[in-house]
Amino acid sequence: MAQIVEFPRRVAGTAANVLAEPLRHWPAHSVDDFGRDPHLIAALSPLARLRWNVGVGGVHHLPVRGGALLVCNDRRWALSNIYAAWALSEATGRPVRFVGRPDFVPFGPFMRRIGGLLARPDEVLGALRNHELVLISCATSNHARHAGTVDHALVGAAVMAGSPIFPVATMSSSVSRTARAEVGPQVRPRRKRRGPLAEVELAEQVQHHVQRMLDGFGGMQTGVAPLDWLTAEG
Amino acid sequence: MGGELGSLVAAQLEAEPWVGALVGIDVDPPRRRLRKAEFHLLQPSQRERIVDVVTKFNPHVVINLSVWEPDARAGLNHARQFTADATTAVVGAAAECPALESMVVRSGIEVYGRARNTPTRPTERTPVDPTTEYGRMLANIERSAREVGTRVGLAVGKLRLAPVLGKHVPSPLGRLLRQPVVPFSALADAPFAVVQDHDAARAFVEAARLRLDEPVNVVAPGAITAVQAIVRGKRVPLPLFGPEWTIARQFSHLFGAPIPDHVVELMHRGRLADGSKARDVLGFAPQRTTPEVIDQLFAWPSVVRVGAIREVA
Repeated sequence: MAQIVEFPRRVAGTAANVLAEPLRHWPAHSVDDFGRDPHLIAALSPLARLRWNVGVGGVHHLPVRGGALLVCNDRRWALSNIYAAWALSEATGRPVRFVGRPDFVPFGPFMRRIGGLLARPDEVLGALRNHELVLISCATSNHARHAGTVDHALVGAAVMAGSPIFPVATMSSSVSRTARAEVGPQVRPRRKRRGPLAEVELAEQVQHHVQRMLDGFGGMQTGVAPLDWLTAEG
Repeated sequence: MGGELGSLVAAQLEAEPWVGALVGIDVDPPRRRLRKAEFHLLQPSQRERIVDVVTKFNPHVVINLSVWEPDARAGLNHARQFTADATTAVVGAAAECPALESMVVRSGIEVYGRARNTPTRPTERTPVDPTTEYGRMLANIERSAREVGTRVGLAVGKLRLAPVLGKHVPSPLGRLLRQPVVPFSALADAPFAVVQDHDAARAFVEAARLRLDEPVNVVAPGAITAVQAIVRGKRVPLPLFGPEWTIARQFSHLFGAPIPDHVVELMHRGRLADGSKARDVLGFAPQRTTPEVIDQLFAWPSVVRVGAIREVA
């Protein structure tokens, strides 16, 4: 009788084991405090390398431990904040979180898993207070070598947290894999301000720094003359 | 003091040198051996008796843990009623105690809500904007305590706990994750954080000792997504996309694990919070990380078989 009672349980148990067998090989790692999944990023990195071959420079400017706000230029559709964040993460060995993920499925949750934060000052402030590296973008521009305006509210988060701010010039080509992310020296405010002018002036200064670095880059050569005549870089 | 968290807090308070006398009220008797504490078995609706017990004792510190999470020990309507009754009685009684210096109330990170474009990891400065019934219940507790604190001049500490998991803690999230087949949001698979009951109890003891006068998040470090938790527990994940959640909730209810709206929200939108202030203010950090608590959740036996009791004399 006991065997008859046990039989359905054993069948159900065996069936569950067979069903669950493939799942045992699924990664069961956890995500970090902000929902970033380093294992997913490692899995996606080969795909990212198919699109971008990013050269990174100026990483020595970044702090080894504390938080910092990084500001990069952004050409439309170039996804510069994503490739720059990933490349800088790899170069520094610390997670670099990019700002500007949407908050709707499926893109929002996916971008959170690959290190995205919402473009909110309190979100940026929270990350900086937890000693994270946070990358924000200038306003999107159509021109590859033009740095748009910087959101002073997001810069204000760094001012509140007392975190240093670094300009990052990014450049990529829409026809080749070559890309570059160059970190500049820390931007220091020209004068001390006690009020909101501090972040407004600092945001303008950062934009100028990024612009100066982009000007220093010069144009990118694809090696194909007709393409180089067009402004294909970005 | 009768619930698992209440019993743990009482047991830890008994071991504190600064605690003289201890009185507890609950609907269930304590789950642990308490040597110093005096216990009163009272229903939340017995307001006059509660007020009588509290005012007669005239405490220096009141800790209000009387929160009924929907579908943990009672359904939504009962949970709402019990919580409201208990809050009115305990917070009201506290206001009548002349010796009272501080009140610590239990709240949760559900008070921040998970509306669109809300911060991924809210801090204590993030405005309270609950989006679930449980979150609204907790926000009401905080409001009542704050009003009494302002009126009487008390320090009011609000501990916003992440979902509490423990060996004997009734939790709809814990029950859901321990089912053999666990539904999750296929499009979101959002991350969440939890806290172990021992760590939550420690936070209450520290808050009472320091006469905390502000809100503090109590969250275990790290985070985990629903799929990661399910795979760690060797359960079968059931991906859901939207409308079928209603059916899944009914089925889960039938199998003894009802899914309240705040757990559905957790599955869809995640639930994280910044717990760094607890370290700075309370000098305390949860010992168990979120993945560890989840691993323990699956390690706890479903049924503990106790051997036959034999009389030896």
